[in-house]
Amino acid sequence: MQTFFQQVINGLSLGSIYALLALGYTMVYGIIKLINFAHGDIYMIGAFWGYYVINQYHVDFGVALVSAMAVSAILGMVIEYLAYRPLRHSPRITALITAIGVSYFLENGMSFLFGANTWNFPQVIGQARYTFFGVTITNIQLLIVAVALVLMVGLQLIVQHTRMGTAMRAVAVDQEAAELVGIDPNHIISFTFGLGSALAGAAGVLIGLYYNSIDPLMGMVPGIKAFVAAVVGGIGSIPGAAIGGFLIGLLETFVQAIGLSAYKDAAVYIVLIIILIVLPAGLLGKNVKEKV
Amino acid sequence: MALLTVTKLSKQFGGLDAVADVDMHVDAGELVALIGPNGAGKTTLFNLLTGVTPATSGKVTLTTASGKVALLGKRPSDIAKLGLARTFQNIRLFSKLSVRDNLQAAMTHRYHENFFAEILRLPAYYKKEALVGGWTDALLREFDLTAVADLDAGNLPYGTQRRVEIARAAATAPRIIFLDEPAAGMNPEETAGLRALIEKLRTDFQLTVVLIEHDMSLVMNLAERIYVLDHGKMIAEGTPAQIQKDPAVIAAYLGGGVHA
Amino acid sequence: MQAKWKAALIWLVLAVAGFYLINELIVVGVINAFIENMLVTIGINIILATGLNLIIGFSGQFSLGHAGFMAIGAYATAIITQQMSNTLGFYLSLGVGMVIAMLVAVVIGIPTLRLRGDYLAIATMGAAEIIRVVINNLKITNGAAGMYNIPALANWPTVYVFVCLTTLMIVNFARSRAGRAIQAIREDEIAAEAVGINPTKWKLAAFVMGAATAAIGGSLHAVYIQTIAPSDFGIMQSISLLIIVVLGGVGSITGTFVGRNRARGAGHGVAAIWRAADGDLRLSPDFDYGVQA
Repeated sequence: MQTFFQQVINGLSLGSIYALLALGYTMVYGIIKLINFAHGDIYMIGAFWGYYVINQYHVDFGVALVSAMAVSAILGMVIEYLAYRPLRHSPRITALITAIGVSYFLENGMSFLFGANTWNFPQVIGQARYTFFGVTITNIQLLIVAVALVLMVGLQLIVQHTRMGTAMRAVAVDQEAAELVGIDPNHIISFTFGLGSALAGAAGVLIGLYYNSIDPLMGMVPGIKAFVAAVVGGIGSIPGAAIGGFLIGLLETFVQAIGLSAYKDAAVYIVLIIILIVLPAGLLGKNVKEKV
Repeated sequence: MALLTVTKLSKQFGGLDAVADVDMHVDAGELVALIGPNGAGKTTLFNLLTGVTPATSGKVTLTTASGKVALLGKRPSDIAKLGLARTFQNIRLFSKLSVRDNLQAAMTHRYHENFFAEILRLPAYYKKEALVGGWTDALLREFDLTAVADLDAGNLPYGTQRRVEIARAAATAPRIIFLDEPAAGMNPEETAGLRALIEKLRTDFQLTVVLIEHDMSLVMNLAERIYVLDHGKMIAEGTPAQIQKDPAVIAAYLGGGVHA
Repeated sequence: MQAKWKAALIWLVLAVAGFYLINELIVVGVINAFIENMLVTIGINIILATGLNLIIGFSGQFSLGHAGFMAIGAYATAIITQQMSNTLGFYLSLGVGMVIAMLVAVVIGIPTLRLRGDYLAIATMGAAEIIRVVINNLKITNGAAGMYNIPALANWPTVYVFVCLTTLMIVNFARSRAGRAIQAIREDEIAAEAVGINPTKWKLAAFVMGAATAAIGGSLHAVYIQTIAPSDFGIMQSISLLIIVVLGGVGSITGTFVGRNRARGAGHGVAAIWRAADGDLRLSPDFDYGVQA
């Protein structure tokens, strides 16, 4: 039982990271139907930014987190402006390939600048362990889950209760109709990228703190897993992405705990395929039937 | 002899009765029209009969060469193979395929080609292609499409696309053909052409036709029997003359209830 | 009747001429070992990409799992040629790889090909990753270390012949009853069903055929490169193949040849950005891999 709860704690920590990343995927997909393959790399940039400001300017964790979110948001918007906006009316596969291209660019660019080796993320927060009934939880795990939850609630508030959020939902439903009622879709799409990228940047700093090591290719696998999480949760659905993220995190941790760590990725994809077969639009997604 | 019999067919979307307890029959060689105000459930009825939408309850039987077959629960492709072809209200052609390929794609189930003959271009392949080419050429001629045979279907004018879609339905070698608002968006000239085409389907192709149409002059001139659907219910059935005088039909079209 | 022989003859002459040209260039030393190696790699990628183009371009099913089938072919060859390190062993392994890949494609395809667009992409990508993880953990495949010292049983003429054969077969498949059926499904699945085409069956046919050619590519890769590891067959390999197909023009077989060269020449990422920014992707204008509007 203790091990079980221990794994739940570990799974939730990892799941928080996936959930934060999945939110960005799901928002961007929801609004322009693009699998933003570069999203995982924005998370990597967020981690490197945290590394840089903490080492260079000796800022505390809060400043590192917030500034990483800001930098990532700006980067996300710049990428959208330069790479995706000119392709707004191109075939979707063109934008997809471009996203892959942006991903390669960020990965190889950072490898070029920093080398392909791993870097030790500075431990700005001294680790503390708390034990409750035999279950150990570190302050960093608590921090990760807490930050993730705060950001998710914040996001939900923005999307559901602000003018920007309403406009986002409008553009997601019908871009042309939104334009007719005076919404500039370019602004909204840019805002969406900013929001999603900020969450990815936060996840990057959090994972740096959790795993201690960062490298230019660190975004690749979590990026894909987070996309899987978004699909499992029902792509386009914000609560779905959060649930999907926690689910994938827990699943991975448990598969690892029962000694099948070599198969943890396979387990994730098996669950993905099963969920898609049973619920073709994911857990919370709406299955849109074509009108005949 | 009833070619198609529909008994107590119903479809509910959520709590809404899109089609409720519809009874209908179509005899071999008949031309039956299905009319009704917008939203009456005409296209839904077509979708139920062709298997695109699963029905909630009811029974549909088609008489084929090997006896009566129940259609509900079958895949649309199997229903098409049994001889029930259709067109769509909002034209659904294979836009980036040529007109010829549109027709030949519809013949897929009419012949078999050996996989190895296909990929190795063995003589058997050429024999089959010649056979299918002959069917296609004949259809193109009948529907006056020879001139556009090698153009992409999606680039053709609207009226021609309608004609290609009907030809494609005919290419499946059906017993019965369902036309969903074929005259929609056509000018009077094109409608006249369409009328000739529908008559050709009956005389030259010996097909049974079921027609959804809003163009009343077309319906009243062509149809032998008319069914009227309103709010998912079959409110009248009869010859054009009977339907024109039916108070329930007049009420439905004028917007009032029968008892208003 | 005349035209068909003429076309066949032209292709035959072109194929033989191409063979002699390469041969002569090697003899006179214009093509050195480095270029030869590059040409063979290009050839193997043509085989892989034409198969993927059948799935993506012709049947319109967005598969991102091609590397998984390639891995099956490569490992079948690596394992069998350990015991039978001769040409017979290679061709036997090629057949075995194709059969396994086709069976796996049926198992993966039946449930997943009902999915649309991006959902199918992500499911096939997952399936390929599962294949890779299994290979990574089996004893017979030597786990993550991979297999090396695979006998060199293919040289450039072998690859050349296979490029010609697989391309010919895929072109013929795409331009026949089967090809019309799968293209009809790509254009409009509902209309295709309404004219008697069973989408599940035909999508699966294209998927299985694509998987078989991927296995051929994998087998040739194994005996030519002589070293394989599970990491060679990851998501990035599938994506590279996708890029080749898209750059060359979805649904165009000639494009698959050209695209291969471009992607190599300019480097994948840069080529993608450059070509995309140039707006010059030779795609059908509103090609869309999903039904979502």
